[in-house]
Amino acid sequence: MVSKTEETQLSNLENQVDNGGGGAWEFLCLVRKLKVRRSEKVLKHGLSILRDPKNRSSLGPDEWTLYEQVAIAAMDCQCLNVAKDCIKVLHKKFPESKRVGRLEALLLEANGSWEEAEKAYSSLLEDNPLDQAIHKRRVAMARAQGNMSAAIEFLNKYLETFMADHDAWRELAEIYVSLQMYKQAAFCYEELILSQPMVPQYHLAYADVLYTLGGLENLQTAKKYYASTIDLTGGKNTRALFGICLCSSAIGQLSKGRNKDDKESPELQSLAATALEREYKQIAPDKLSLLSTALKSLKVSA
Amino acid sequence: MAEDLVLDTAIRDWVLIPLSVVMVLIGVLRHFVAKLMRSNQVPDAKIVKEGQVVVRARNLRASANFIPPKSFRARRLYFSNEENGLLYVPKGQAQNAQAQMFSDPNMAMDMMKKNLSMIIPQTLTFAWVNFFFSGFVAAKIPFPLTQRFRSMLQNGIDLSTVDVSYVSSRSWYFLNLFGLRGLFSLILGEENATDDTQRMMQMSGFGFDPTKSLGAEKDSLDIVQHDWALPKFEQRAEAVLRKALR
Repeated sequence: MVSKTEETQLSNLENQVDNGGGGAWEFLCLVRKLKVRRSEKVLKHGLSILRDPKNRSSLGPDEWTLYEQVAIAAMDCQCLNVAKDCIKVLHKKFPESKRVGRLEALLLEANGSWEEAEKAYSSLLEDNPLDQAIHKRRVAMARAQGNMSAAIEFLNKYLETFMADHDAWRELAEIYVSLQMYKQAAFCYEELILSQPMVPQYHLAYADVLYTLGGLENLQTAKKYYASTIDLTGGKNTRALFGICLCSSAIGQLSKGRNKDDKESPELQSLAATALEREYKQIAPDKLSLLSTALKSLKVSA
Repeated sequence: MAEDLVLDTAIRDWVLIPLSVVMVLIGVLRHFVAKLMRSNQVPDAKIVKEGQVVVRARNLRASANFIPPKSFRARRLYFSNEENGLLYVPKGQAQNAQAQMFSDPNMAMDMMKKNLSMIIPQTLTFAWVNFFFSGFVAAKIPFPLTQRFRSMLQNGIDLSTVDVSYVSSRSWYFLNLFGLRGLFSLILGEENATDDTQRMMQMSGFGFDPTKSLGAEKDSLDIVQHDWALPKFEQRAEAVLRKALR
């Protein structure tokens, strides 16, 4: 997650570079530091630096880092020839390097030759069994091939050792959701909330999964997490507002027979509905009638 | 006897300044040699896993109030289960950490290398100082000292009537040894190989003792009371929405 100041800095630099104002090298350094994915821009500007021999020599030892960055960006944009050239240059300079080996395996993966890439990754892992990036590439490969169970297996084994890696937990949660294994996905989202409790996206995703699982207790918990999302985002998250309305009506439906005294906030649903209507009026006024009918049907069943 | 000895300025030119310059140069040399000699440390899988377990347990403790009570209890059991909990360390193993550190060949080699790189230049420089710069008064310390320091500071001077404030060059050497640390961190950046005093402090207590940290985490996890914060959030959300709609 990139902080706001860094985000603005990045977009400023991006605009500056796009309009021919120079500063391409700072832009590339910032992209590398923040690990953002701007492959087209990186490719364009990186190549323009590399093709000019005067610029290249002025970079000094950072030249090789730039080659690596451009190679990865090229693979992301499917310009495999560019990537191959960059990797060849790097290979000539650092023949025995593990980093270059990783790039070559990435190239094989981008080409689609899965078995060779798998073999390359396994041999790299033998040398260094604790290389996090290679583990993750293997998972990504399994997922790209559609082999979800292998991806889950790899990811679980990776998480057994590196259990504090929240990106991995997020990936696992997404895979589980795509496979409709909601209980496991809920566990992963709980891990994410534990490591970063103030990030509203995780609360929202957790609430979605709980709502999908269904059942009275889950619905009540989901409502609470939608509420926490609203609190964390200052009431601006439309999805959370919808979530509150849906949860409240579903809870009402389920507990219609029982005489459950509503100690939870009864006004939350009406407040959420009003907030939704106001937002639609501002942003998409032609859909307002749809919203009103939907909300009315929810309220009727509650 | 408070007589003032007049010290030759030549002492300052030919003793104090060259000694400092030589020590700085030796420090820089050691830093670069250490950088060259630094072996690539292959992290042990078990130690990495333990580090990550500790981080995860700490996260659990810090944000326990954000997840439902059932999940929290399940996780706490997972961590501190008597038989195969992640943080559980049987009593017998707890003592082995130090012995293990000694028997592990890589770590022993590393420590020996670090110790040697510290001891040898110090010894050589000290011997050089003693050989060349002994037998005369080198400097005067600006504040008065008791007689106890005489043997330490006035080593080459065999007159017992000289004021203790007048010291030999050996004390200048020690002063430089401890004082140049600040200068080194300026020139060489933080974390340089000449930080002897830090190393000496580390030698007394072994740094990474995984079993102890695991046990500590387990104890603190057992203490945690789960107080689910989410119900409060519903009311807060209400307040937020009310404010937004006003």
